[in-house]
Amino acid sequence: MAEPQQPTAVRGSGEGGGGQFRNAVGGVLCAFALLLIGVLAFSIRLFSVIKYESVIHEFDPYFNYRVTQVSLISAERSSAASIFCQRMESFSQKKRKKNGVYEFWNWFDDRTWYPLGRAIGGTVYPGLTLTAGTLWWLLNSLNIPLSVETVCVFTAPIFSANASWATYLLTKEAKGPGAGLMAATILAMVPSYISRSVAGSYDNEAVAIFALIFTFYLYVKTLNTGSLFYATLNALSYFYMVCSWGGYTFIINLIPMHVLLCIVTGRYSSRLYIAYAPLVVLGTLLAALVPVVGFNSVLTSEHFASFLVFIILHVVALVYYIKGLLTPRLFKVAMTFVIKVGLAFCYAVAVILVSLVASSPTKGWSGRSLSLLDPTYASKYIPLIASVSEHQPPTWPSYFMGINVLAFLVPSGIIACFFPLSDASSFLVLYLVTSVYFSGVMVRLMLVLAPAACILSGIALSEAFKVLIRSMKFQRPSSDDDSSTEGDEVSSVPANSMKNQSKTSVKSETVTKEKPSKKNRKMDQDPEGSSPVGPTREQKLLVLPCGPSFVGIMSLIVLCGFYVVHCVWAAAEVYSEPQIVHTYRSPYGLHVFDDFREAYAWLRHNTEVDDKVASWWDYGYQTTAMANRTVIVDNNTWNDTHIATVGTAMSSPEKEAWEIYNSLDVKYVLVVFGGLVGHRSDDINKFLSMVRIGGGVFPNIKEEDYLRDGIYRVDAHGTPKMLNCLIFVETDGTGFDRARGYEIGKKHFKLTHFEEVFTTHNWMVRIYKLKPQKNRVRGKLKLKSRSKTSSTLKSGGKTNPWQ
Amino acid sequence: MAPAPPRHLLLLLPLLLLAAAPAGADDLVAELQSLRARSPSGVIHLTDTSVTRFLSAPASRRPYSVLLFFDAAALHSKPDLHLPQLRTEFALLAASFHDRNPGSGDLFFADIEFAESQHSFHQFGVNSLPHVRLIRPEHSTLAGSEQMDQSHFGRLADSMAEFVESRTGLEVGPIVRPPLLSRNQIILLGILFLISIPFAIKRVIEGETLLHDRRVWMAGALFVYFFSVSGGMYGIIRHTPMFLTDRSDPDKLVFFYQGSGMQLGAEGFAVGFLYTLVGLMIAGVTHLLVKVESLQTQRFAMMAVIAIGWWAVRKVIFLDNWKTGYSIHTFWPSSWRIWNHPH
Repeated sequence: MAEPQQPTAVRGSGEGGGGQFRNAVGGVLCAFALLLIGVLAFSIRLFSVIKYESVIHEFDPYFNYRVTQVSLISAERSSAASIFCQRMESFSQKKRKKNGVYEFWNWFDDRTWYPLGRAIGGTVYPGLTLTAGTLWWLLNSLNIPLSVETVCVFTAPIFSANASWATYLLTKEAKGPGAGLMAATILAMVPSYISRSVAGSYDNEAVAIFALIFTFYLYVKTLNTGSLFYATLNALSYFYMVCSWGGYTFIINLIPMHVLLCIVTGRYSSRLYIAYAPLVVLGTLLAALVPVVGFNSVLTSEHFASFLVFIILHVVALVYYIKGLLTPRLFKVAMTFVIKVGLAFCYAVAVILVSLVASSPTKGWSGRSLSLLDPTYASKYIPLIASVSEHQPPTWPSYFMGINVLAFLVPSGIIACFFPLSDASSFLVLYLVTSVYFSGVMVRLMLVLAPAACILSGIALSEAFKVLIRSMKFQRPSSDDDSSTEGDEVSSVPANSMKNQSKTSVKSETVTKEKPSKKNRKMDQDPEGSSPVGPTREQKLLVLPCGPSFVGIMSLIVLCGFYVVHCVWAAAEVYSEPQIVHTYRSPYGLHVFDDFREAYAWLRHNTEVDDKVASWWDYGYQTTAMANRTVIVDNNTWNDTHIATVGTAMSSPEKEAWEIYNSLDVKYVLVVFGGLVGHRSDDINKFLSMVRIGGGVFPNIKEEDYLRDGIYRVDAHGTPKMLNCLIFVETDGTGFDRARGYEIGKKHFKLTHFEEVFTTHNWMVRIYKLKPQKNRVRGKLKLKSRSKTSSTLKSGGKTNPWQ
Repeated sequence: MAPAPPRHLLLLLPLLLLAAAPAGADDLVAELQSLRARSPSGVIHLTDTSVTRFLSAPASRRPYSVLLFFDAAALHSKPDLHLPQLRTEFALLAASFHDRNPGSGDLFFADIEFAESQHSFHQFGVNSLPHVRLIRPEHSTLAGSEQMDQSHFGRLADSMAEFVESRTGLEVGPIVRPPLLSRNQIILLGILFLISIPFAIKRVIEGETLLHDRRVWMAGALFVYFFSVSGGMYGIIRHTPMFLTDRSDPDKLVFFYQGSGMQLGAEGFAVGFLYTLVGLMIAGVTHLLVKVESLQTQRFAMMAVIAIGWWAVRKVIFLDNWKTGYSIHTFWPSSWRIWNHPH
């Protein structure tokens, strides 16, 4: 990039009204391109709707959907079966909305974690729910009657379009609109982001990535302009991010890091102060308003970095202020004095901070954050976190799957950001480096890396295209070939004089390109911000030979083409499956397994409203949302003991399991078996984690009892304990297990304490009912010992003793 | 021939004496306690003789339990056995137990070395390592003592402590691990750090540190990128080796592992290098090559870059398809069926 004065001079001499026209056309084209990018981002995520149907995906989204339903009152009674909706029917439309939000804030959910329940309002990030709710309310007040479910399904694609626009803005701040458009296009279809934002994937990340990029954009914008207006917007955007996702801690650590970096490398400016100080003050206050964060925003170590940098920034600001007031000599004297006094103070503060932090057992950090700083932490101390597949470290194919050819382009983008290094481009590099490190620790954070990789690849591609196309457009005179042998110093002079004609037009082009960044630079009084390349560069026409440039352009286009093919393929084939409906392609055609919804519908229509259903925690959210029945555990795994109880029941023999379930008032047990249709992630597959979690709390459950020679199997070689436990008994049936590829070890059971009440079409879900009476009258001793439980049973048959 | 018997006899004498005049239970405990006091970690080193003396004695005179660690110096070099690591963890366990129960006579920690005491290894029936046994007073024969299960090595000293607590009913307490740096070292480092702060600040203000050199930052950023995309963190967390040896042919080395769930160190760095190489080449063309004056050089370098770039990208795509088993294909309108992939 050029020094500020030079382009103005060139523009003054060369360009007139034509430039304005070009700018206007460019602006219209740019807007049109952005519109298309938005359409692309939205439509590439519709494969799930086209291939399957408009349905909410997986597990967590069902919970979010249910929360949204409660926070709103759906107009259609049919779709919103939640009893909470029915309660508030009498309110008027507007009042309903308001009331819904308050109701949601204080909502205690008694349909889950029976008998404990869960206070939803204080334990969820409300951003997504409120966003979709507002969207629905807006559409309804415009007389567009959409169901809540439809709005929820399409929230993620809508916000992907927003995210690509935000990417355009952020990249434009750093490297101009060309790079911005490129980055936005790439982000619109990056697979790693698609994986979390296909239509139906109604999860926090769907809106959070937009909030993340937009917050970064506003920060960089403030940094470039020094405007307090953008600083305030930045704090609000940060607030939205805090509302949406726990990943907001990434922002509140990355921005301080960047501020610190700027200070250390001597790039302090008043703009930096304006960009950072309001964010910390306003942002922290706003963050504390979100119930799930609350006082954590000042008490946990994740946020301490921002406060420390806040203090440092003030000290530095003071130093710069005094430096402006005093003469250099006086300043030096004052500096030595202040440093001595100041350091003593700083030491004291540091000691207090360290002792405060050290007094908490995890040093104030949550396990997940710690495992990011020390990658081996989780695998050593927190098996529960380490066991989740999202928390595994990724291998190199994961990067190729997630960001594809961007992996090749990013290094070039990093280097482009250093020529020249501005506040904005240094922020982008820092964002990339931190996110790529974190993604290396946890595959889940590939999602945070994706925007950074897109931005830097966009910059790299845009720079490469700029150079190559310039080379094809303007060629050096052929005499250059001869003079080139004489060396740089000699050749540059004659070459210059000959190229005057083309030089001016090239420059005018660079001028238009660099206009926005130049405008931002007006406020910049910092000499460091200037370009590292000297004026000599301005004198030369930097071009490459024409032929190879053409080949280069074609190669890059092929590379981009491959990226598009990969992204479309990934969106269509890998990430679009809703996980609630499964498909299977056989030579005879497509088979659809809709067993889950079949089972939930059965529960909903054939059981009492207050019946309790036990299943492994994976199916908790779905059961509450779709069957509207109370569950014992669900996907919000906040209570280990409760999960361990269910795990123990599942891994115990029938009789013990019956006793455990009966003590929890359970009436139905839902198990998932994929053996018949070859569905791999069923309860047999998850069984070892049930044993492990159960054994973690109840020592009588031992993992070794279920393993034959350290290998887990349910065929004829399975251990007797394995072949007798409840989960096995209940999933049994077919003879040959297609998911694991062998014959089941034990067949033909006679259940004594449970009875099968429903099995879905493909045997994927089987529902069992606890038998109430049979073992009550067998011998006096037993009767005596079990009189207590049977009394609960009697009453539990029709009405719930807990109510 | 002649002088040999007396020497044997001499060696056997103490044994005979011990067997003939059995010491009382209190004596044995006191002796073990003194042995323990002499050992720095609190782990008593046993030999064939002392095993006979302390462990083969009838239960009535053996009111204590012994946790015995079977060690073999010859196998310390085998990395997959983790013997040295387990041995230090065992010492930690012993030290933690003694901190909790000073002067306890109920449980002793001991180790035994294969080369010195082969006889005892036979007596216990130990033929594979790592092996830890708990000999409780009620165990009448050595072979009847209880073996610590493999799963109890899993979390090192902590899980061993659980085993001991569950079997003996004695409390081990929290495992006290020595900090990486001793207290004095930490204080010294802290003071050095505090002293260096003013100098560092001065340097930073003057703007002449390494931090002000953007090339350092650039190299650092590129290195972090290279390391992460090559799955280096995976190698650190999972302790995967750089390469494996082929099972069927020990001379052949396996550098690439098929299956996306796992990767070897070398393959990650190879692909990470290709990722970074292409990016660096593009950057080289856009930022360096344009400044070169000679057209010939430019032409040649660009052709080289394009050729290497094509090769590298194709290689990575090929490796990825091979490793993951995915086949990426395009979607054409159905009216163009002729070229369509059958799927």
